[in-house]
Amino acid sequence: MDRNKILYNIQRNEIVSIKLPNPIDLQITGINKLDIFKKKIPQTGGDCIEVKTTKALITYLNEHFTYATNFREKEVFNEFTATYPTERLAILKTVIIDGQFGVAENGSVWINDSNFPNRLIPFITEVLVLCLNSEQIVSDMHEAYIKINNDITGFGVFMSGPSKTSDIEQHLVYGAHGAKKLIVIIYHENVVE
Amino acid sequence: MTQHNQKASLFLKNAERAAWHDETLWMVRQKRDKAASDVPEWERLREQASQIKMHTLSKHYEYLTRFEEMAKNNGVQIHWASTATRLNEIVYQIIKENNASKVVKSKSMLTEECGLNPYLEKKGIEIIDTDLGERIIQLRKEPPSHIVMPAIHLSKEEISELFHNQLHSEKDNSDPTYLASIARLHLRQKFLESEVAITGVNFAVAENGAVVVCTNEGNADLGVHAAPVQIHCMGIEKVIPRMSDLAVFIRLLARSATGQSITTYTSHYLTPKPGGQMHIVIVDNGRSELLKKADYRDSLKCIRCGACMNTCPVYRRSGGHSYHYVIPGPIGSILAPHKHRNNYKDLPFASSLCGSCSNVCPVKINIHGQLYRWRQDISKESTFFHWKKSIMKIAGKILSSNTIYNLSGKVTRWSIIHLPRVIIYNRLNIWGKDRELPKVSGESFKQWYYNKYEKQGQNGQK
Repeated sequence: MDRNKILYNIQRNEIVSIKLPNPIDLQITGINKLDIFKKKIPQTGGDCIEVKTTKALITYLNEHFTYATNFREKEVFNEFTATYPTERLAILKTVIIDGQFGVAENGSVWINDSNFPNRLIPFITEVLVLCLNSEQIVSDMHEAYIKINNDITGFGVFMSGPSKTSDIEQHLVYGAHGAKKLIVIIYHENVVE
Repeated sequence: MTQHNQKASLFLKNAERAAWHDETLWMVRQKRDKAASDVPEWERLREQASQIKMHTLSKHYEYLTRFEEMAKNNGVQIHWASTATRLNEIVYQIIKENNASKVVKSKSMLTEECGLNPYLEKKGIEIIDTDLGERIIQLRKEPPSHIVMPAIHLSKEEISELFHNQLHSEKDNSDPTYLASIARLHLRQKFLESEVAITGVNFAVAENGAVVVCTNEGNADLGVHAAPVQIHCMGIEKVIPRMSDLAVFIRLLARSATGQSITTYTSHYLTPKPGGQMHIVIVDNGRSELLKKADYRDSLKCIRCGACMNTCPVYRRSGGHSYHYVIPGPIGSILAPHKHRNNYKDLPFASSLCGSCSNVCPVKINIHGQLYRWRQDISKESTFFHWKKSIMKIAGKILSSNTIYNLSGKVTRWSIIHLPRVIIYNRLNIWGKDRELPKVSGESFKQWYYNKYEKQGQNGQK
């Protein structure tokens, strides 16, 4: 009943139709997207680390995040199901997941359902480590949505830096509800040692 | 005095706080300027955003039904609410059907507008606001004073006292990091216990049925992904056609709101989580009526960034509560009289019409133009401003006659120089309230000009 009432009310307005503008595509070239992206991350409160190869990435993760829950590993991914008990997710300290791509203009990383087995994981962990292929960086949000549009899943999020709040006298505090620390590790896939 | 005047003078009683409020919001405005100037195509984005919104409003029926269809295909349950009461009933119904009693909610100006919290509380439901600022004002039983920074009117000492009394934090510890950590612990528990999570909606995409929510704290996501049932409440004006349009709005929103390039979390919800439920409530509550009014339709483009508040010289100096409506500031002053003309007829006058709001608006709403339009509409039918009207009539007489103009100038100058203070600064002279009148010259401009140029036959030419 409400549906028809609302739609009827809308439909009887005769508003002069305005054309939908074509999507903006800036087609930016000649910039170093990786450099801009790397510079942007600290501005979002995040940390950025760059390693040379995929092998170096694994070594780095093993050395620095020995006790982390690493969702890049298949067994770990399969262990945590979508219906995994929330209380047990609440004790996660450090989580490692793959990022899909980064956005240079704002330092954010796109992740979606295919990167974590349970949607709560990237939000409930205290420290989040995102691994990103250096070739997967777009210059701006226009490019980002062109990339997403073709294979959007049930849930996806742009993340930029750790959770933050300025609600108390505009003082910036990290770790309001979500991750207190966000680390982006960029690796170069096609570099041969 | 109007309601806005009265409430503004209450706010101004604490001069130090008022000055802090003014400076802090101006700082946010400057951050916005910096963020906007870093984007070379900023003006193009604003124009694009405005056109997308205008187009969508002109094809509103098509996009809403398309959105509904796509969301249903994603396994989402769609509900329609024509009024605030209907939204409250629908949400309560969903909660009841799931035998739930613990609900968490992230920021939603719409549910604030509809009075969802008091409605659910009366029904015995625990509803917890999870945005830190919103939680603070919920504990204080106050409305928000800003749409992006709901507790901007409070000092850290007040928040410390509140947390000490209600969340048992250390007495007199007003360190923001400490206070935020107390809130984190308190709300983490609420997230884990909750059975239903409610959010507002920033954008709803017609082409694939996605709803997009932007937060910095991550509270929307903690709620939505932890609770088995998620409910997203959106006004009918939130729908946009395409995913590619999101790029435009996401680029504009955070930059305009806080000067960030993007919020920490920009979440796209399409399907329910495995084993969970996802509901979307599409709310009208007066919006389709506003759509009818060609003069005011423009205000439905609003994406609730708050930039018009941060820049407004009146808002910054009078505080959000002085607007006595759920959405304060310039945009609130346009929206409020549509809800209840008589209650809010003072708000379009709580503006200097300087136009700064229109200049910062990311979707190019002609905010000050609409405020001026409201003034005309309200003045026509209201006796509220008869005093102002009479003054204008007298002024009209004086300005149309050379003789009377010259004479009244003389009288005024003489009076200000010679009459005692008590008479000049009387109750009727509202300009003399809390401020000094400007120094008066002994002669008028006309006299000065005549003596300087025309008398010497120069005819104004040097």
